[in-house]
Amino acid sequence: MALTKNLAKQKLKEKKQKSFIAGIPITVWLFIIVLVPVFLMFVMSFRQKSGYEILNVFTISNYLEFFRNDTFWRLLLKSFRMAFMVSISAIITGYPLAYFVSRRLRRFRNLFYMLIITPLWVSYLVRIIAWRTILGNRGLINTALLNLGIIKEPLSIFLYNQASVVLTLTYIAIPFVFIPLYTALEKIPNNLIDAARDLGASEARTFINVIFPLSLPGLVTGFMLSFIIALGDYIIPAQLGGNAGIMYGNVVWAQFGGAFNWPFGAALGFILFFIAAVVLVIAQIFGSKEGIFAE
Amino acid sequence: MLNVLLLKEKKKFKFPYLGIYSMLIYLFLYIPLIVVVLFSFSGTKSTVSFSSVTIKWYQELLKNSSLLSSLLHSLQVSLTAVFIAVIIGTSGAFFIVRANFPGKRLFITLAQLPIILPGIIIGIAMLIFFINLNIPLSMFTITMGHVSFTTPVIMFQVTSRLLRLGRTYEDAAKDLGANPIKTLFLVTIPMIKTAIIGGALLAFAMSFDEIIITYFLTGSWTTLPVFIYGMMRFGLSPQVYAISTVILFFSLIIIFFMARFTGTRAEELEVKK
Repeated sequence: MALTKNLAKQKLKEKKQKSFIAGIPITVWLFIIVLVPVFLMFVMSFRQKSGYEILNVFTISNYLEFFRNDTFWRLLLKSFRMAFMVSISAIITGYPLAYFVSRRLRRFRNLFYMLIITPLWVSYLVRIIAWRTILGNRGLINTALLNLGIIKEPLSIFLYNQASVVLTLTYIAIPFVFIPLYTALEKIPNNLIDAARDLGASEARTFINVIFPLSLPGLVTGFMLSFIIALGDYIIPAQLGGNAGIMYGNVVWAQFGGAFNWPFGAALGFILFFIAAVVLVIAQIFGSKEGIFAE
Repeated sequence: MLNVLLLKEKKKFKFPYLGIYSMLIYLFLYIPLIVVVLFSFSGTKSTVSFSSVTIKWYQELLKNSSLLSSLLHSLQVSLTAVFIAVIIGTSGAFFIVRANFPGKRLFITLAQLPIILPGIIIGIAMLIFFINLNIPLSMFTITMGHVSFTTPVIMFQVTSRLLRLGRTYEDAAKDLGANPIKTLFLVTIPMIKTAIIGGALLAFAMSFDEIIITYFLTGSWTTLPVFIYGMMRFGLSPQVYAISTVILFFSLIIIFFMARFTGTRAEELEVKK
């Protein structure tokens, strides 16, 4: 008896060991790809550049510079505002869509679900090209207005401002808002809604008192995801923003390109990392528990 | 009977606001993509004019040797990155489903970071990492950058499949006398095969057009998106539309297959076989 017990124990141990062997590649990956680089970025943010050299010193002057020089934190605040507008617009478009697909459709539900997810995997760059084509000086809107005789000269108001950046970022963010909302809405049992209706609640009241509260975790996750995506982007502001639509990401990028100030860039990057981490923790606590990229 | 009739009567016609609003959003999502396709066939350089439909921009693509070599580079990077990610991601999925260890939740959250953090952070961090190690920017650095986000994509596809299947099939195989290796190759892998393929296709599609991380890790050796980004600096040429259309077309094919390989139906098929 004791022997079999021991044998079983040993087998369990072996099984466990095998699982841990399976964990080696992913652990190595986590260290090399995520933890060590982020740590080195943190270290770099305390260095100082002098000419084209990075000095081996330890100083907090990069962070002081960020708070002292109001261009940077003002730009961060502006990017916050823009990212906030992106999240709100993505929810205004994505919520009714998620509600429609998850609760109103039956036969073509999978097809319509896929139709929203698909743009997520279709080239990011192609979608930027598309919006530049629509909003540009010789773009679709201007051409249409010219041909209709409404305007005589092409208008430059559509491109190179904050609105064009927010619009394109919203376009990118819609699927990210849609997925967690869809998952949350789809899970609400029908009998809860039937019960509310039986008790005399109107459709609007059922929505406000039953459906909306149950979809809140999905809403939080969607909001946070699109916020982070919008806050960290630098390609879209560079392509559609012009001087007016520049965002925090562009300044970060500039430190590694033209400005060549890696330590300061690392500090700006770490500040962004810190903000993203805070947002993600909030999403973990209040948001839905499923990962967005799960099947 | 009367009751049913009464109920039916009560259900009066409602104007489908929600349906119409949703369809408008579908248009909003797809019209920009259609615009790109249409522009790629337009004969004139600047505006839309369908009087002259042409495929000459596609023919020019084939003559653009630097574009073709960047396409080849992209294929190399994506295939290598996905191959590495399949190995790390699949074994990682077994690890986080089967092993129990303290800090598991933190481990999973950290492993998700490359897909939920803004790409710019991973880009900066890896750039600093490679420069610290004196590794010059090359195909290697770009590929490592792509391994960062392809790995969790595949890992979480396989993870959710493993969680849904549970251990019953494997236990049955063992009860029937199969050794662990036999069980792995005859039971477990066939059942998660479609999740691996689906995850790999998704990862490939994401890797093939990635630019945010790649842009930090690119030296003179460029991938297709970086090359197109360079072309865009001189305005949107018809060639940009043509290559965009080609990319769109191939992404759609990949997504179509990915959709077939993932989801509940795929594994039911495998089990039935």
